[in-house]
Amino acid sequence: MIGATIGTLAQTDFPLVAPASVLMHYLVLSAIIFGIGLIGFVSRRNLIIMFLCTELMFQAAGLALIAFGRYHLNHTGETFVIFVLTIAAAEAALALALVVLLFRRKESLDASAWSELKG
Amino acid sequence: MSELISPLLLYLGCVVGAVGVAVALPRKGANPQVLGLIAAAAGAGLLFLAVSLPAAELPERGVGGGLLGHGLPNANFYIFGLIAVLASIKVISHSRPVYSALYFVLTILSMAGLFVLLSAEFMAFALIIIYAGAILITYLFVIMLASQAPTAEEGDEAPLYDKYAREPIAASVLGFVLIAGLTTMLAGGAGGLPAPRPYTGDLLLNELPRRVETSLRDADLLESDETIALTPEGEPMIDIAGGMIGVRAKGASPVRMIPVGDWPASMHVTNVEGVGFELLRDKPGMIEIAGVILLMAMLGAVVLSRKRVEIDERVRAARAGATSPGNDPTVAGSPGGPGEGSAEAFGAGEWVERSGAKKPIRPERGPAHEHDAGEDAR
Repeated sequence: MIGATIGTLAQTDFPLVAPASVLMHYLVLSAIIFGIGLIGFVSRRNLIIMFLCTELMFQAAGLALIAFGRYHLNHTGETFVIFVLTIAAAEAALALALVVLLFRRKESLDASAWSELKG
Repeated sequence: MSELISPLLLYLGCVVGAVGVAVALPRKGANPQVLGLIAAAAGAGLLFLAVSLPAAELPERGVGGGLLGHGLPNANFYIFGLIAVLASIKVISHSRPVYSALYFVLTILSMAGLFVLLSAEFMAFALIIIYAGAILITYLFVIMLASQAPTAEEGDEAPLYDKYAREPIAASVLGFVLIAGLTTMLAGGAGGLPAPRPYTGDLLLNELPRRVETSLRDADLLESDETIALTPEGEPMIDIAGGMIGVRAKGASPVRMIPVGDWPASMHVTNVEGVGFELLRDKPGMIEIAGVILLMAMLGAVVLSRKRVEIDERVRAARAGATSPGNDPTVAGSPGGPGEGSAEAFGAGEWVERSGAKKPIRPERGPAHEHDAGEDAR
């Protein structure tokens, strides 16, 4: 029985309604991944890992958007995730350019090496 | 019963998960990462149990093809979800940035699997192409560009700032308090969700006569000389809501109606068509804005990377005094290794000199400055 359910990959045929409890599972998964990204952003000291953790949080937000779009049977969530991807790409380009500059200057990726910047 | 058990399970899951993540994060002393991962997975499992138990008691809805037919998601959800959670914990707990990036690729892949489960196929593949293919490559390049050359005394060890997390316990408590709050709120608001409106996406086919014709022809429902009939006003005779499509052979032959029962399975708007029309017809401004943002990011990155770097005095001193050991260990995790070796390793000095020379608007360019840059290269 379980083998049969694993065999069907797609959640449902698209226009069929997905129950709210299924949506809830995806939202909880999204919350967990967002929390893990937050923990990483707060606790890791490597600048690159910190930016990787923001990407993790973007992913969690995207999952929630797409799950809501699936629940409401429209594609607005997906189009918004395209925008999220755009922002993530822009952020990666700019942030990584900054990280390389900062690294050249101090030869360290340690975020606390820049603690003199605090106001 | 489950009204009482579920919140308990939820908070228990958060506590176990927080302990697991705190154990898994890199820190001084013993670092049993596997134990932490197992505990974190158990916490995530408890969280899902807390959500699944009330859902399993729901009457069968007859849709969704969920696990065992209840209001639960597909079994693949649990598989991909577990992989995503474990891989993202490895992203934040691995002491080597390259491995973190690779585990992030694993997170992305399982996330793409979840998108497929949500029938968002276009986004699933776009995610793999853009994230795993483009953004992660950038990350890997920067990680390798900005890694310190191994020194004699440290050997192949990871630098200090990768080996010790900052406040792992406080961070995991913070994160899991957030998760507990979010999930409690979600569980409380689950009943208040508005029911989804009836699906109207297929009405798009009313405006796509050629697409309708192709899918009818592929299903052998059209004679070779038949096409979609036109109304006297010149509109195609397609009524998706009414369930009728009129076709007509060339000449003045009568209109033949194909009822909804005969339509092939391809008579639905696919995911790519839906996203495409939503994006380009309903929200065309979004594409323009995205283009402007990407252009500005590109210009910003070009400007940033051409900027001349003023190397910190302490690093300069460390490089200059590299031959006399123990000169400057002040910068945390700074190499303090042989100056020539490390400078050559990333070619930083050489790059600074070249980018400066190409910049004509800098007035202070001169032989003295060249010399200075040359010193930086050391």
